[in-house]
Amino acid sequence: MNDGQIIAGFLAPHPPHLVYGENPPQNEPRSQGGWEPLRWAYEHARRSLEELKPDVLLVHSPHWITQQGHHFLGVRNLNGKSVDPIFPNLFRYKFELEVDVDLAEACCNEAADMGLTTKMMRNPNFRVDYGTITTLHMIRPQWDIPVVGISANNSPYYLTTEEGLEEMDILGKATRKAIEQTGRRAVLLASNTLCHYHFHEEPVPPEDMSQEHPQNYAGYLWDMRIIDLLRQGKINEVFQVLPQFIDEAFAEVKSGAFTWMFSAMDYPELPGELYGYGTVIGTGNAVMEWNLIKAGLAKAA
Amino acid sequence: MSVVSAFLVPGSPLPYVQRDNSPWGEIAAAMETAGKALAASEPDLIAIYSTQWIAVLDQLWQTRAVLQGLHVDENWHEYGDLPFDMKIDVEFAELALKKTAEAGIKAKGVDYDHFPVDTGAIVASNFLNPDGNIPLAITSNNVYHDWQMTESLGRVAADSASELGRKLAVIGVGGLSGSIYRHVIDIAEDKIASTAEDDWNKKILSMMEQGDTAALSSACPEYAGAARVDMGFKHFAFILGAIGGRFNSATVHAYGPLYGSGGAVVEFDLA
Repeated sequence: MNDGQIIAGFLAPHPPHLVYGENPPQNEPRSQGGWEPLRWAYEHARRSLEELKPDVLLVHSPHWITQQGHHFLGVRNLNGKSVDPIFPNLFRYKFELEVDVDLAEACCNEAADMGLTTKMMRNPNFRVDYGTITTLHMIRPQWDIPVVGISANNSPYYLTTEEGLEEMDILGKATRKAIEQTGRRAVLLASNTLCHYHFHEEPVPPEDMSQEHPQNYAGYLWDMRIIDLLRQGKINEVFQVLPQFIDEAFAEVKSGAFTWMFSAMDYPELPGELYGYGTVIGTGNAVMEWNLIKAGLAKAA
Repeated sequence: MSVVSAFLVPGSPLPYVQRDNSPWGEIAAAMETAGKALAASEPDLIAIYSTQWIAVLDQLWQTRAVLQGLHVDENWHEYGDLPFDMKIDVEFAELALKKTAEAGIKAKGVDYDHFPVDTGAIVASNFLNPDGNIPLAITSNNVYHDWQMTESLGRVAADSASELGRKLAVIGVGGLSGSIYRHVIDIAEDKIASTAEDDWNKKILSMMEQGDTAALSSACPEYAGAARVDMGFKHFAFILGAIGGRFNSATVHAYGPLYGSGGAVVEFDLA
């Protein structure tokens, strides 16, 4: 099999507040809404994903943290109830997902061949992390597209940021090769917040949007600078300043998903489409798409 | 004093799920020895502070009466499941919440079905309270809390037990040195990944054996940085807070590697 390709990548952050604000039947807590601009941004992303018709969604989540290698979900069907350990009042979600195990194994093997420590997660009792579930719900609430879930190895924190992100770059290259070899039409989801400074107390109720704004002005300015560069397609410049952005804005992109996604797409100097930006408990979140079909870098179905 | 026994134990699941591996089996056997010592101290409840229960907004205390389920560690999933069946002393937890707030630390109770109980709390409970007969209090590691705040949480636990007339056992769950092997190793050959960190671990454990709390107070900040100690060694701060900062001596039941990082099972002599 061949002709596999990456057809799009999304910056797809995972605040559980977005699921809480939407009130889907899978989530127990009920809200009066909230965070509408970000949720409406995801509605736009959902429509685009519908047109893309991918075979598989790959998501790299900072809330599946592994110390010993890069791990891949490797059980065909996983289900359960995911409770966010930080926001259990907002996110208690019954999930059921199908894993593209063949592609996950291909990614795992390619990354190992490129020198990374990798591991398949084969335990059927494994609880999928809330970051993976939130991103997948927000982009495709129907749960009808197989997924590949990838852990965030803690290398950017254990090693230097630069050394850790070099690993994510290799992981991205391995992911691209695996997608090409397995013939999948794949969409990548980088489950990352931008500026990650946050408030330390929740308003009552949590969806009181009169209390929602950037926690840190310098972090907000950094977010705007990065988004502006991304909208202009100045990807090389973004990656030149990425370590400084991470340090000064405490940016969650340090955990690797953003680098993994752009490496897999071969760092296209392509303007990203911003669907929306908003804060969640003070952190900065952007929903953006890089559509490689529209850019002529991938073939339509 | 309400505290009748105190222990420092590692939160890694490896000794629990793979005890037939010699380096980890020694720690497993020591955990069981510690469990017997804990039972002999006849506590009414056990307070557990685990570095692996991460909080960022508040100080969290478990307030759900019964916690049951099957946990799979996010890193060591290939070694199998961690079943748990815990009883929580809810009256104690409610009082601890009140006292935590009085100490100036915002606190919240956690009472949710399927809440992800952390690996460290499960491992400590399963080894040191194997029949689950002794009620537990479990509290989180807020990553923004420093050594002093964590000590005050230990005091909250001791004061709450004292007010309720409960005899309390205290367990600080966390590792020693933090350098790990990032590649796959022959687990039978596991050892402390860094010689310098190994030296630091031994130095700190020796101070504990001697009951030299002054030297420990002075050395711990440097140790935490130099040996990449798990969460700044705050699990020891919690113990110190609970026992009033003093102990006579300590017994190191085991010290060894956990995929390169350091772990020790330590029992403090409070007599």
